[in-house]
Amino acid sequence: MANTSSTAVLAERAPASSPKKKRGLSARTRSKIGDFMFVVPALVLLAVFTYYPICKLFQISLTDWNLLNDTWKFVGLKNWIWLFTGTGAKYLWNSLKITFLYSLGELTVTIVGGMLFALLFNRMSRSFSLMRAIVFMPKYVAMSSAAVVFLWILNTDSGVLNYLIKSVGLQPVDWLNQKSTALISILMLTGWRVIGYGMMIYLSAMIGISKDYYEASSLDGANGRQQFFRITLPLLSPTTLFLLVTTFLSSMKVFQSVDILTSGGPSRSTEVFVYLIYRYAMVDFRMDRAATSAVMFFLILLTITIATMKYSNNKVTYDS
Amino acid sequence: MKKEKTIDHNPRKPHNAWYYMQWVVAILVTLIMLFPIYWMIATSLKSAQEVQLVIPTLFPHSFHPENYSYVLKRANFFKYYWNTIVMTAGILFLQVTTGILAAYGFARGDFKGRNVMFYLVLGALMIPLQVTFIPIYIMCSNWGLCDTFLGLILPEAVSAYYIFMLRNTFLSIDPSYTDAGRIDGLGRLGCITHVLVPMSKATIFTVTLVTFTNGWNAYFWPKIIAKNEVRRVLTVGLAQLKNTFAGQSVSNYHQIMAGAVLAILPVVILFLIFQKYMMTGYSKAAMK
Amino acid sequence: MKKSFLRNYKSVACVAMAASLLLTACSGSTGAPASPASSAASVASSAAGGDYAVTEPIKIVWWHALESQYDELVASVVDDFNKSQDMITVEAQYIGKYKDVNEALVAANAAGSGLPGVVVANTDYVASYGESGLFENLDPYIKGTGYDANDFAEGLLRSAQYDGKQVSLPFLHSTQVIYYNKDMAKERGLTIPDKITDFGAFLESATQKAADGSTSVYGTVFPGWDQWYFETLYLNEGVNIINEDNTCDLNGDAALKVTQQLQDWCNEGVAYWASGEDASAVMRQNFYDGKCFSVLHTSSLYNNYVDNCSFEVGMAWYPAGSTGDKNSEVGGCVLGIPSKNDQATKNAAWVFLQYLCGKEVNMKWAEGTGYLPTRKSVLETQEGKDFLTQKPEFQCIFDNLNLVNPRIQSGAWSELATTWKNYMDQIMLEKSDVTKSSNDMVVEIDEILADHS
Repeated sequence: MANTSSTAVLAERAPASSPKKKRGLSARTRSKIGDFMFVVPALVLLAVFTYYPICKLFQISLTDWNLLNDTWKFVGLKNWIWLFTGTGAKYLWNSLKITFLYSLGELTVTIVGGMLFALLFNRMSRSFSLMRAIVFMPKYVAMSSAAVVFLWILNTDSGVLNYLIKSVGLQPVDWLNQKSTALISILMLTGWRVIGYGMMIYLSAMIGISKDYYEASSLDGANGRQQFFRITLPLLSPTTLFLLVTTFLSSMKVFQSVDILTSGGPSRSTEVFVYLIYRYAMVDFRMDRAATSAVMFFLILLTITIATMKYSNNKVTYDS
Repeated sequence: MKKEKTIDHNPRKPHNAWYYMQWVVAILVTLIMLFPIYWMIATSLKSAQEVQLVIPTLFPHSFHPENYSYVLKRANFFKYYWNTIVMTAGILFLQVTTGILAAYGFARGDFKGRNVMFYLVLGALMIPLQVTFIPIYIMCSNWGLCDTFLGLILPEAVSAYYIFMLRNTFLSIDPSYTDAGRIDGLGRLGCITHVLVPMSKATIFTVTLVTFTNGWNAYFWPKIIAKNEVRRVLTVGLAQLKNTFAGQSVSNYHQIMAGAVLAILPVVILFLIFQKYMMTGYSKAAMK
Repeated sequence: MKKSFLRNYKSVACVAMAASLLLTACSGSTGAPASPASSAASVASSAAGGDYAVTEPIKIVWWHALESQYDELVASVVDDFNKSQDMITVEAQYIGKYKDVNEALVAANAAGSGLPGVVVANTDYVASYGESGLFENLDPYIKGTGYDANDFAEGLLRSAQYDGKQVSLPFLHSTQVIYYNKDMAKERGLTIPDKITDFGAFLESATQKAADGSTSVYGTVFPGWDQWYFETLYLNEGVNIINEDNTCDLNGDAALKVTQQLQDWCNEGVAYWASGEDASAVMRQNFYDGKCFSVLHTSSLYNNYVDNCSFEVGMAWYPAGSTGDKNSEVGGCVLGIPSKNDQATKNAAWVFLQYLCGKEVNMKWAEGTGYLPTRKSVLETQEGKDFLTQKPEFQCIFDNLNLVNPRIQSGAWSELATTWKNYMDQIMLEKSDVTKSSNDMVVEIDEILADHS
């Protein structure tokens, strides 16, 4: 859920300075060192497992390192040239396109689907609370379990989905083995897991909307639909933006569902960005290419984050 | 679609068509959402012959719990459980400890470069493991951490998200509480354990829950660092099980599903028990 | 804020880097991608001379890729070995498919730790392991212990070599065959043709279509998930795949003809291209269910097919190409010893490896599965005849045994194969233009080949 945080970050303004205590100079220095010690473990771990690796990544991208070989040498910008011309570029764009398509799909399900579900399940009775729990549960079902079930449901010959399709007289679909439906199949799995999450986020935001608005507009003669579009939706815009940003950033990192359902196939039509890096590194053992692609991925994430930060700072306030 | 519906539990109010429609649609949607989990369980109890039937049976004709014992024999799920539990516990412990300490340091501490360092923590949010896994993998291999708990845990030992969330909560607590604590003779650690942590229980619970779920469901890093049976975790073990059986025939799905059920059992049970908290957990985290 | 973030990012990152380097240095490793120090071990081994004796009790690990149906066989073979002597204890570990074993092995080798004592490798990895020195050269061991390697069938022995060095030994081997439904063949008077030129007509007659034109029984199924199954069809038409000058000729006239032919068959619905995660299982299931007349597959699964089919299973050799060649390629796996192990482990591994590749163990597999006997002393003697009376369907393999060739040995093979497979999927499943796709593919493969030269 590190992604949740990025927006939470947006909400944050310059930190308030804590009250300073007047003390003797040496005692004060000692106190400062004491305070500093509290952040040391986290900083050291971040340095070793986040900042050092990202520097190292730049370095590897300038080598010809193949995991099979014991030696490597610097080759300058060779990998970067490869990444932007020829086959490197071809697969880079292919992956970018697929990743964004996937993101778009996940965003639609989370936001539109989540909103619709929130409206459908918004009653406060016991049975509705139970149904909400069921709809939300997939979020807690491990992706690998969910993925193998979908593998089974989507199975071409014996899958239950194709059985239903056949029983209404349509042609069965080769869900996971053709380009046109492979990504959609992955999105079905994703959708199943995230739609309840979108619903919960919207529901808890809806509860926060003051009833006065609705009462006032009822008096003005507004009907349900008008109330939804004129009151609910605008007041939910911070929530929508929150979902938009966090879901977008997390969907960029999709890997597991692709790995289990399609392994990036058929013909690389579901090879999302992380899978591309994974394939270069752990299948082809081309660490040089994998590192170059990973740096590229980092730059893309950085751009998106900075862009959304700027945009949301201008547009929406997060004060609750 | 009126908003008042959310607080509508007044039985005297007349029910219109939408009221019944909502019921019907909601139940239908719930059943569809429930289906994959039901199908997993139902298939896991079927026989090989039944799995292959051209017309799938909604309910197993005969129960075959031996699918479970077969899978347990085939794949060492107890070991996977153990590995997953230790890994998740390790990640939880380290993230909570480093998180609370650092959050205190950033919220209450007074030292040079505090804000800059805090921005460094925030910056880490933009660098997921999916970017940095190659150098980390090499580092871990060089330190001999492949197929070890340390290798599984260390790269996830600190969470910038955790630090950020807690720091905000600590900041929202009036300094007079900690000051009072200091006057009463509490050290910094005493302030944390006796004042700050009890006062931010809700946030800590929420964030820890997210950490727990992420740890339990982790796949990407465990797949890379623990390729060997000894430290394989549930998620990877299940994918592996699928690969083992996939080489044989379609009719193995009853066994794969048994594995899938085994893999999700603990978390689903937890969910059923702590359903309320687990559902609001995410939305609370979102609202912060 | 952005500015200060970036500025400070830099300085702290440098500190972090220094700190990490320190850490790495302390742990006694170089922090560079791989430690060159460990390669010294392989030098030591060749200098060690003739002494490969195991002097102290030792535990070694064997990584294999034998699926669940071989569980009991693996357990009993390892058990027998552990009981037969008291120095070496072997633990067998199932790692996954050949691909998974490859990933784990290369990773462990780069790390220089966690390496198995003995490991299986699919026949097409021999070149890359030999080239990179991942596998120990076994020649000194063979010489030093007076091991008789000449009893292995020649083609198999060669397929375990790289550059004239014996970097591995033949373990479980198979070759490509066509399984067919014998009951259906008798009933409808079908035979698998000897020549590929007759294959089209055969598919026509073997295929059954429903009233609406959809196929109810496919003539055959081509496994698209592994290029090994169809590369033979190309080789028998005189395609080199990798030319002398290190280029690819998969867009040459001969290759295009094969690809076009395959695409036509798939388009006409007389053949099916099996691809994707579940493909192997789906293909087998369709064959068991009588939804296809024949499938191209590996001989190693013979027992599996026989056990699962309610009809009689026939086995035939691939039809000869239009050049008259009816070669096939060796499949299955060899056994090797990772060179970065210490000498004691390697010595123990060598003992276990001899045992696994030995005649007795080999015959256990040959009888219990569809793997081939690897020994001349079996193949060319009464034992071979006994084997055939047990499994008469293997006659077609025994007849053609000298036509089973080693794999194409190139360090670039694995990358090439992935690319090829992906393009074949596109051509067969998406019906893309054969010439254009092949040209695109060859551009990519040439780049891979140039990169590895």
